[in-house]
Amino acid sequence: MPFSSSGSASDSGGSSSGLFPSLIFVQGNEQRTISLDHSPYAVGRKVDKDLVIADPRVSRDHALIVSENGAFYVVDQGSKHGTFVNGERVQRQKLERNDRLEFGVRDIAYVIFHPLHMQTSNTAREFLSQISGIHISTETTDLEKLTLFLEAARKLNTIGVLDEIFVTLLDATLKLTRAERGYVFMKSEDDSLRLAAGRNSKGEPLLDDKTISHSILDEALKSNSEFVITDTSQSLDLAGRQSIVAYDLRTVICIPLRKPQVQATRDVQGSGPSGSGEVMGALYVDSRFASRDISSVSNEILQAIAIEAASLIENARLVQTEEAARRYQQELSIAAGIQQRLMAVTIPEVPFARLAGRNLSCKEIGGDFFDAVNTEDGLAVVLADVSGKGVSAALLASTLQGMIYSQLTARMPLVDIVSAVNRFFTHKHIGEKYATVIVARIHPDGELEYVNCGHVPPLLISREGVQRPKHGNLPVGLLKDATYTSDRCRLNAGDRLVLVTDGVTEAENARGDFFEDSRLETVAAKSHTLEDIFTAVADFCSGTPLSDDCTVVDLLYTG
Amino acid sequence: MSLKLDSRELEGVTIVNCQGRIVFGEESNNLRESLKRILAASRKIVLNLSGVSYIDSGGLGTLVGVYSSARSAGADIKLTGLGQRLRDVLQITKLVTVFEVYDNEQQAIAAFQRGAA
Repeated sequence: MPFSSSGSASDSGGSSSGLFPSLIFVQGNEQRTISLDHSPYAVGRKVDKDLVIADPRVSRDHALIVSENGAFYVVDQGSKHGTFVNGERVQRQKLERNDRLEFGVRDIAYVIFHPLHMQTSNTAREFLSQISGIHISTETTDLEKLTLFLEAARKLNTIGVLDEIFVTLLDATLKLTRAERGYVFMKSEDDSLRLAAGRNSKGEPLLDDKTISHSILDEALKSNSEFVITDTSQSLDLAGRQSIVAYDLRTVICIPLRKPQVQATRDVQGSGPSGSGEVMGALYVDSRFASRDISSVSNEILQAIAIEAASLIENARLVQTEEAARRYQQELSIAAGIQQRLMAVTIPEVPFARLAGRNLSCKEIGGDFFDAVNTEDGLAVVLADVSGKGVSAALLASTLQGMIYSQLTARMPLVDIVSAVNRFFTHKHIGEKYATVIVARIHPDGELEYVNCGHVPPLLISREGVQRPKHGNLPVGLLKDATYTSDRCRLNAGDRLVLVTDGVTEAENARGDFFEDSRLETVAAKSHTLEDIFTAVADFCSGTPLSDDCTVVDLLYTG
Repeated sequence: MSLKLDSRELEGVTIVNCQGRIVFGEESNNLRESLKRILAASRKIVLNLSGVSYIDSGGLGTLVGVYSSARSAGADIKLTGLGQRLRDVLQITKLVTVFEVYDNEQQAIAAFQRGAA
């Protein structure tokens, strides 16, 4: 049976001879043009169909497109989820050009039946082919162009260039409406509208929005409509307005861009977005009296632009946010690198003592640190634990470390050092953040002085056993008038001072028990290596992840 | 969120019961904001921590922060119902020297009344 067709042009895709009606099949980001060159033409999920749509909502034998007396009909084959023409469920329906067919699956896959053809400009076509790889016929309908544009722009979206999307959107809108000038406005944080992009119909950028009607723009945003067409020649009260008189504006079309609402089920042909979506901005196009009349632009096109432009921009914004988050992540890992280098300790070699320390962070960057400085007064060690975790804790830890390091190098008394740090932190009002710190200095003759500010008591290990001195002070950074004292004792050759953060004593096992001081004392007394302490903690936790940083410093006085 | 707070009046003193965990984040924010509200109306507060299962370093910071701002506003917060672990923490950090800690609510209230007399 011969097909009749009024179409004369061929598709640049080459799949259609032009003698047969064409089907444009759109699925997600993919689209292809199919020549309807035999009848019946079968659609379904089964692989032997002429058009296979691999989606569970499509029945195996879903529908047929048949030719009868020069007309085309779609006939549902008892499909479970139905066949739709322009959004209406049908059993058998005669097809008109440009009809939209859906088979079971709505929205993400559809077929446009034999689109109408018309001239489109080279630039738009080139642009679209360039960015999307879609071949565009020289003769496509407005809606088809829009579909293509949107498909293309969705791809562009993945590159995430919001400005380019604005320009693309404007160019397409100007082509579709034949308006002279177009602008996109986006709401800034203070709710005012900011010009995001402007283009004229020649594709030249417009950087100035002074010559547009802001009053019409504002009214359009306040209204609940999808779009507002203002024909100034039809409205006396508008004719007097300044911008309209001054710039000879004839027709203004405003399309508020509303945030797409996720829960709204979108009827493709129909009602569009509800008016309640948050306004993100506006698309504004106008033309002057001297130019052509744009008041007759089809509502369908404006509706489609209103829906799609908003979701396009919203998607692009999401992509940009993601990009910003990615950059932030990058910055963070650089910061983590810097912090790790700052925290890297070069342990001084001294003839009278041996020092070892190890830190196990439970997060990328942590709040624990230790440091060591050797001066003529002796070897000083610091162990600190900043409250909280993550970046804020790391920032404080770095500051604290710098302060203490420089004061130790300057051979300041230990009590003065912690007092100065406390003054600094309380003076700066850093909120409820504080640090527990222990600073110790061992003189070559074995004299040990230390200041404990809220830390787990140190372990003094000698031949007599393990001692836990009661000495202690408030943490630094909590109370501005806190006073600090130090404690002293004498070490004999072979005696050790072991400092730990509470991450060690509070390491938890699966039953919720803590490692506790008793276990720490037992293993520290038995062993001379840090590894043994960490192994004992790991054995105790047996797989339960650490919830806090663990740091252990072991100072052996060799005499 | 795993911190519940409820307050009641007893002999001119506001007793605030804490139930759950005082940890950095939502819980410590809740504690801070709730006590701020209570402090607007009452100058004598007893914080009953007997229902607190865990307090982390951030939570401890909040507790001290709230205490300091109460003191500077001429109000006072006394603690009661401390578990062994919280006692240990306050001992290690020497915060026992900052907070007034009482064995039970009656003693805390009595301390307020002695102060007022």
